[in-house]
Amino acid sequence: MMFEPRIIGFLCTWCSYTGADLAGTSRLQSPWNLRAVRVPCSGRVSPELIMRAFDEGADGVLVLGCHIGECHYDNGNHRTAKRMPPLHALLAFAGLEPERLRLDWVSASEGERFARIVSEFTEAVRELGPCRWRRAGPALPRPELAPAPAERGG
Amino acid sequence: MTLSTEIREKARELLASGQVRTVIGYEEGLRGRTRPAFVTDVDDVERLVWNRACTHNLTTYLPGRLRPPHQSNGAGPDERVAIVAKPCDSRAINVHLAEQRYTRDQLHIIGVACAGIVEGAGESRPEKDGPLQARCQACTERTPVIYDTLIGEAPPVTEVADPVGEKMAELEAMTPAGRMEFWLGHFDRCLRCYACRQVCPACNCPTCLYERDDSLWTGMAIRLQEKRAFHLGRAYHLAGRCIGCDECERVCPVNIPISLLNRCLSAELERSYGFRAGEAPVPSPVTTMLSGEEG
Repeated sequence: MMFEPRIIGFLCTWCSYTGADLAGTSRLQSPWNLRAVRVPCSGRVSPELIMRAFDEGADGVLVLGCHIGECHYDNGNHRTAKRMPPLHALLAFAGLEPERLRLDWVSASEGERFARIVSEFTEAVRELGPCRWRRAGPALPRPELAPAPAERGG
Repeated sequence: MTLSTEIREKARELLASGQVRTVIGYEEGLRGRTRPAFVTDVDDVERLVWNRACTHNLTTYLPGRLRPPHQSNGAGPDERVAIVAKPCDSRAINVHLAEQRYTRDQLHIIGVACAGIVEGAGESRPEKDGPLQARCQACTERTPVIYDTLIGEAPPVTEVADPVGEKMAELEAMTPAGRMEFWLGHFDRCLRCYACRQVCPACNCPTCLYERDDSLWTGMAIRLQEKRAFHLGRAYHLAGRCIGCDECERVCPVNIPISLLNRCLSAELERSYGFRAGEAPVPSPVTTMLSGEEG
């Protein structure tokens, strides 16, 4: 069976979350591996949240926010953009593959971009295989492959 | 006149004229140990010393003694203090000033030109002429970046070795899985005694995030995963604020190489933002806005 990664996505409610909605309403195919967490701003995503997601067994963490200059709160995404490189470096230094964490920007009108980023990221994490970061508690059940959605006939 | 005498003279002058209420320096303690000293009386200035074992970063004591004017109705518990600062310690003062822990005029900095601290400093009877600490071997700073009085003359920079840098390169050459095993092996010994946090001049949150039992995001358990979260989280909180005094590593009872984590983040901040903590009183770049070039 193909490895299905568990991916946590922190999505800014003003842009990426709406972009995800748009991808859905546009019937764009994107992997179901992403568990979306709706946050008020990508600036809300503190490094503790990301580390916690990996601690709890995430195989990948995707942080999506508004493009620089389009933040609803003016500069929340600036802070995210500046926080992420050091976090990347630290987690990589502690033994996490850096590809498991990604920050990108998706606006509310970019449903297609959302679907593409999620697909790319899922495939990249699938390549890496299961994450060995989690060190507590029993092994988590691996997500089963969801049954193929029935063709929606008329 | 030795450096100790010069420090005593300056301390006497500052205390006698009432310019400061306390002088924070070093003294000879029991069993040949050099330890921090708080001198408030002119008669006590003879206790102050300077030697090659003055390893403690005394700036740790400053945020607790001084308050910025807006938090204390204009007067702190000890409005003005003088502090003996090595070049590395003086950068922690810049970090405090950037974060408005106190104001510059509350402080008289007795800067000391430093030729390095010996291995084993802080313990009983260290070899005063022994090998230098790892951080001092790579250090080329001889005078503090900020001071009011400078004691001594900057000794020349002689041979420079970099044992910590070599260890970093060795770790970076490992596979991610290898590095994870390396760190888990070290974190496994952690007792969560918080000595690293207590001794750190930059760790001065009133309530530490990692000691809050109501925190949803960080556990207080003494399990491997929570210990790793504590160390990585603490290192991250020091990004752009750690000045590399390596006191955390010195006080660690189980010898976790904490300085490597801090060194990793310092290197990343210098690479990404061209920022070195404490060289000037400016806040860490992880807390600020993007500038034009970075957008």
